[in-house]
Amino acid sequence: MPRRKPGALLPLENEILAAALATLPSGEGAFHGFGLAQAMREQGGSRSLTGHGTLYKALGRLEEFGLLTSRWEDAAATEGRPRRRLYELTGQGLEVAERALAEDAAKAAGRSPRIAPEPA
Amino acid sequence: MKPERTARLAGRWARLYTRGLPAAVGERRIEEIEVDLQDQIAFERAGGTGDRRIALSILSRMARGLAADASWRGQHARASTTYRLGAGVAIGSAFFIVWLMGAVGIIGVEGDPADLMFFGVFAVGILGAVIARFRPPGAPRALGMARTMLAMATAQGLVGVVALIAGKHQAAISSVFEILGLTGMFAALFLGSAWLFWQAARKRI
Repeated sequence: MPRRKPGALLPLENEILAAALATLPSGEGAFHGFGLAQAMREQGGSRSLTGHGTLYKALGRLEEFGLLTSRWEDAAATEGRPRRRLYELTGQGLEVAERALAEDAAKAAGRSPRIAPEPA
Repeated sequence: MKPERTARLAGRWARLYTRGLPAAVGERRIEEIEVDLQDQIAFERAGGTGDRRIALSILSRMARGLAADASWRGQHARASTTYRLGAGVAIGSAFFIVWLMGAVGIIGVEGDPADLMFFGVFAVGILGAVIARFRPPGAPRALGMARTMLAMATAQGLVGVVALIAGKHQAAISSVFEILGLTGMFAALFLGSAWLFWQAARKRI
């Protein structure tokens, strides 16, 4: 299998960033694994949730790229269940997510991002 | 079919494929999967989904993630070996320096105070390793260690330069060749360690 270019994002990773971006207007900012899988299912109109391995591998990669940051939830907030790992977009992650969304919107609108040739 | 049973199966699978990996990496993955499974069961039950459907969904998520789990484990296992090799070279070099200082002396004769400069190199290493320890496990920590080893190699080179400026090569027992040769060899060992840590960081990406 050919190695992908360093820094290149997979469609799933773009999808994660878009879902993370969608958490910002609600003021939450931080999200956890299952919450993200659920948001991606709703946004993508899919019936199934992303596989565990696929989701957490992608989250790890985005963190290593510096696009996400993560921390363990405060013990006081867990209400008796195991603590969650909370993820947040970094400044760089926010930029990349906004760019990816803009590109997707441009593609969806059928517009080409290329500059039109000048008239002869 | 109870969702709790399939959740236990998914948890056991996570324990199996994280076995032998660095504790911080493995435990984080297991904890994330376990809370995800609990969240899914609670959420779907609250939404009125039947137990059988939840259990099948958990099994399906586990099965669809198997290839990614195997590839993630492979990356971490390879990176972990390279990381340990980098640490081994660094620690082995430090012990070699200490042994050489005690046995025959590196700069000048045995017990020459100039040899104390090597403790400055160790201080750079200890400080860098402590800072790297606070970085997230995986590539960020390995990169931190690679930078630490680069700093140690630079400090090692400076020791040689300072020794020459101080005229230590004029002593009967030391020569320019000996001082530069020994400090250069140690600097090369620390550079080798830096390369191994950098490779470990790359393999995780």
